[in-house]
Amino acid sequence: MDQPTLPIPISFISGRYLLFSIDDVTYLRREYNTCGVLIGTLPQIPQQNVFLGLPLELMPEEARLLVDKGVACIVDEAKAHDGMQSLLEEDRRQYLRELESQGLHATRILAERKDQQRDQKFKEKSDKKAATARAAAKAGGGDKHDSPATPANDSPASVADFFDDSASAKASTSTVPEQIYAVTPTTSYPPLPRPSTSSNNILARPDVPLSYPLFAHLQSRGYFLSPGLRFGCQYVAYPGDPLRFHSHFLVVSAEWDQEIDLMDIIIGGRLGTGVKKGFLLGGPQLSREQAESEIERTESVRTFSIEWAGM
Amino acid sequence: MASTQSEVPTLEPSALTNLIASASASGNLLSATTIQVLHNLQHQHLWTSLQIHDTGASQTATDPANGSSKDISGAPTLISGIPPHRVYTHPDQQLYMLGKGIHEDDLRPERLFVIPTAQGQTWSLRRMASAFDAMAEFQIVEDGEGRAAPEVDAEKAQKLDEYYKKREETLATKEWGAQRLLLAMVDKGMGGDGTVVYYVVQEGEVKPRQN
Repeated sequence: MDQPTLPIPISFISGRYLLFSIDDVTYLRREYNTCGVLIGTLPQIPQQNVFLGLPLELMPEEARLLVDKGVACIVDEAKAHDGMQSLLEEDRRQYLRELESQGLHATRILAERKDQQRDQKFKEKSDKKAATARAAAKAGGGDKHDSPATPANDSPASVADFFDDSASAKASTSTVPEQIYAVTPTTSYPPLPRPSTSSNNILARPDVPLSYPLFAHLQSRGYFLSPGLRFGCQYVAYPGDPLRFHSHFLVVSAEWDQEIDLMDIIIGGRLGTGVKKGFLLGGPQLSREQAESEIERTESVRTFSIEWAGM
Repeated sequence: MASTQSEVPTLEPSALTNLIASASASGNLLSATTIQVLHNLQHQHLWTSLQIHDTGASQTATDPANGSSKDISGAPTLISGIPPHRVYTHPDQQLYMLGKGIHEDDLRPERLFVIPTAQGQTWSLRRMASAFDAMAEFQIVEDGEGRAAPEVDAEKAQKLDEYYKKREETLATKEWGAQRLLLAMVDKGMGGDGTVVYYVVQEGEVKPRQN
């Protein structure tokens, strides 16, 4: 369990807060209840979106909370990459060569594995054939009419298989792979120095919606929060890691004197009960005018859990 | 026109309408919503020992029919009573009871508070919180009125004693949830049929019963 160097740089790119390092992602999930949403997909097949990978997108609330805790900082990614031009030409070539050799290495490993699999398959096949041949020979001892039929049916197929396999095997092993895999690194920190907190690429704390105090309040109680669109709420609250627990609450935030339609409470309560969750309504008692900071507002949060009474 | 109108047989107003009309005629300041919810609890859900706890500041607030629900400072009127069956049991409480072999019906009946509201009424977190704060002031000592606890043998009585002791402890730790009350909403919208729905509202993050 290695700890990444703090503060973790959160990349701010066209209005989104993104993380590109898997070490940072796992660390924040493990230590700070921050899951975010994986949004990386295959450039060629973007409709394949069941299993997504890096980068991880953070809600502004998540980014703000991490910055407030001093765990992370917001980096203006476009500015940070200006440094790319100042890289020495020699360093750049060296880096590109390195990437290429990594790609070549990956290609070789894959080719070797393919060969191994093919050999394995071929061996299994020939073993099987030998076994059936033996069985046929045994059976042939009893019945003289059937015995020549079995090998006769089998042998042309096996010859064809043999030729097929050996031909393709020869082609792939003997030649140097024409297509070297392109390696796309997820972070640009090997060629570039890791952005430092003192540099002028660091942006101010993210602006957050009015629901931030409730978010921070639930986070401090150990809840994992994810965006709530799929349940028609603001956040879905899990009592632990979402991979291990079902969620407990559909969370909706309101200001202390904000008018709430009673029907919305009924809707939330009924939906929550229908999906075995509670409906959590809450908010800070202090408005932004009354409080000096969001931290003060967070301390004044009161919440109410609502469930259908069943009567 | 006058002659045709007299021929149409007039419908008798419902018992509830009569009750509300007589209450307001007699100078009773309670709102129609409160009376209707009380009526529903008493006759449909068979609650006993019903009481109305009036904070005095809420007359204008709880009547949406007048459209004058602008008073948001006062705490709403509360109703309290004893339900015939337990309405809510916290999941951890249920687990504890299962472990001890205690059935819900063995327990002493508990008084529960209800906030009467009507569809279309304005609501806010402040009002919700003020209802909870007001409820804390109204805690009543039960004088044995209403349903008494059922007779049990000595073994069960001991288990129940343990349970009540644990219950006292959890009131402090809020392990089994803190304060709770029922939010009652009367259907008064267009085509309102007088249905009253009830939702359990608890202060704080209380895990759901079925998860």
